[in-house]
Amino acid sequence: MTRSAIQSRSAWPAIAARTALALLGGYAFTYAFTAALARLLPLDPVDAVTAASLLSFVVYLLFMLWAFASASLRRVLVAVGIAIPLAIVGFWPQLMEVLG
Amino acid sequence: MKGSLTQSMSWLHTWCGLLLGWMLFAIFLTGTLAVFDKEINWWMQPELSDQALSPAAAANVAQRWLAERHPDETNWNISLPTARAPDLAVSVGERRRGGGGVTHLDPLSGATVEPRETIGGNFFFHFHYTLHLPRTLGVWVVGFAAMAMLVALISGIIIHKKIFKEFFTFRPAKGQRSWLDAHNASAVLLLPFHLMITYTGLAIFFLLYMPAAVNALYDGDRQAYFRDAQSGRAAEQAPRGEGRGSKAVSAPAAPLLPLSEIVGRAEAHYGQGMIGSLAVSNPGRANAQVTARPVLGNRIELSKGEGMVFDGVSGKLIQAPEPSRTSQLTQRVMAGLHFAQFGGYPMRWLYFICGLISCAMIGTGLVLYAVKQRKQAKANAQFLRVVESLNVAVVAGLLLACITLLWANRLLPAELAARQNWELRLFFGVWALSWLHAWLRKPLSAWREQLLAAALLALALPALDLWSAQDTLDVMRLSLLASVASMGLLLGWTVWKIPTVIAARNARSARLDRPAAGASS
Repeated sequence: MTRSAIQSRSAWPAIAARTALALLGGYAFTYAFTAALARLLPLDPVDAVTAASLLSFVVYLLFMLWAFASASLRRVLVAVGIAIPLAIVGFWPQLMEVLG
Repeated sequence: MKGSLTQSMSWLHTWCGLLLGWMLFAIFLTGTLAVFDKEINWWMQPELSDQALSPAAAANVAQRWLAERHPDETNWNISLPTARAPDLAVSVGERRRGGGGVTHLDPLSGATVEPRETIGGNFFFHFHYTLHLPRTLGVWVVGFAAMAMLVALISGIIIHKKIFKEFFTFRPAKGQRSWLDAHNASAVLLLPFHLMITYTGLAIFFLLYMPAAVNALYDGDRQAYFRDAQSGRAAEQAPRGEGRGSKAVSAPAAPLLPLSEIVGRAEAHYGQGMIGSLAVSNPGRANAQVTARPVLGNRIELSKGEGMVFDGVSGKLIQAPEPSRTSQLTQRVMAGLHFAQFGGYPMRWLYFICGLISCAMIGTGLVLYAVKQRKQAKANAQFLRVVESLNVAVVAGLLLACITLLWANRLLPAELAARQNWELRLFFGVWALSWLHAWLRKPLSAWREQLLAAALLALALPALDLWSAQDTLDVMRLSLLASVASMGLLLGWTVWKIPTVIAARNARSARLDRPAAGASS
């Protein structure tokens, strides 16, 4: 695995895409997830912020592991796309303000 | 990257571990040393001596000195002698301890003492979480490395199927197999520690790394979040007393209570010897206030910045610390678990040894990659050379640089201008040279020579200190010397073992045509 990864230059774009999706896409997903979780947790805002933020590292970790384990890149891309509805949930009041 | 879960995780473990392993080793080694940061500070300033004066008495000495020299300042800061930092230091104005303008006092006579300038054990502490980069950038880079550590740990568990059986397996002096066993054993043995220390490290800066929830619920206003977190005390809170500012001057004059009284009252709450510092605002005025702050570590929770505020004239308690709310407490206990300030010296040693085993796990993992690659005929020779030289420089070279720093502290003239910068130059200079050396020499010779140099320097440190000693070798400094010398013995043993191991390996590969297959995890 290691050797083939070094030697087959054609593998590099796929690896780079997956790494970028895992790192950056994963962070975007985690960011939106954390915001949505803090919004939805039935707790005081302070406690919800603390709980959601402390959990965010687990979310990011699992997302990255899954992004590398997943068979197809497209599935990872779809998962990153879920960040959009999550962000809408998390930043609902701010969104309402902007829209009108 | 197609293939089974094990294959993809194995790939991830290898590359994540290799590319971030060098940085992680440096973070873990300096973090391990930072467990004893105050002790290293103390050793690095041999001009200071432990007068075994009680904090209360020392507070009075500081008060006399400050009242004489700085009666008109609005803020006095006093750092009291404690078990781990037995010196007395004062500063005035807004400067915090460790910055410029700190004056060390002899706790008995009240005379000023001028210890050598040194980056001290604080250097290891700061390097541990910033890598000596600009602070914010460094914290982010270290956070990134911590995430990579978690990825490597979990992917390592996934690919490690026979986790229980191999826990009891160690085949020494068998080349790659032994490196793998050592890597697995150190990883599995302390898996809870590795996970705990990495996750709690992230938890310290949790809102910096993941501001999403604060941005969503507080519009990014972190101060508002912290205010809410302490809302329990907001109701009865007196106006926050530290009156830093110009209007303070207007209050009428009034004598300040002897600070030993304040220390006594604060000790009644926190316990004997637990007060680390005092901050006096508006001394000599009617609105004087004294904040007594505890040393970290009277409990697991990291209570940084907490303190009791007293009226400086009447000695009345104005504000007592309140217990944190549960969610806050969770985060602070996590941070406290990382800082390891609780539990005294037994706990410190436990963290130190666990930290060393973490370093061993990362180091053996790095070496394992090189050993595996070396056996593969088609390996990229140039890349392998980079890996091997970096391995030597990061593991042996950093050890050498750290011990060099201790030597530099004793050998550089005490009155040298910008002395801290020279210490830094020597530290990073030796570290850079170690890479050059590792690049030019064969890997095995480079390993042996650098480890040998580190071992000799560590073993000779007590001799250097006796030669340059200023009759200040107290228990703490002697313990440090003994610990460094023991590390030297350990390194020396490693160097001495290398030829035996190599001979055994050569003998075996002469018997076998090919290296054993099946060591793929």
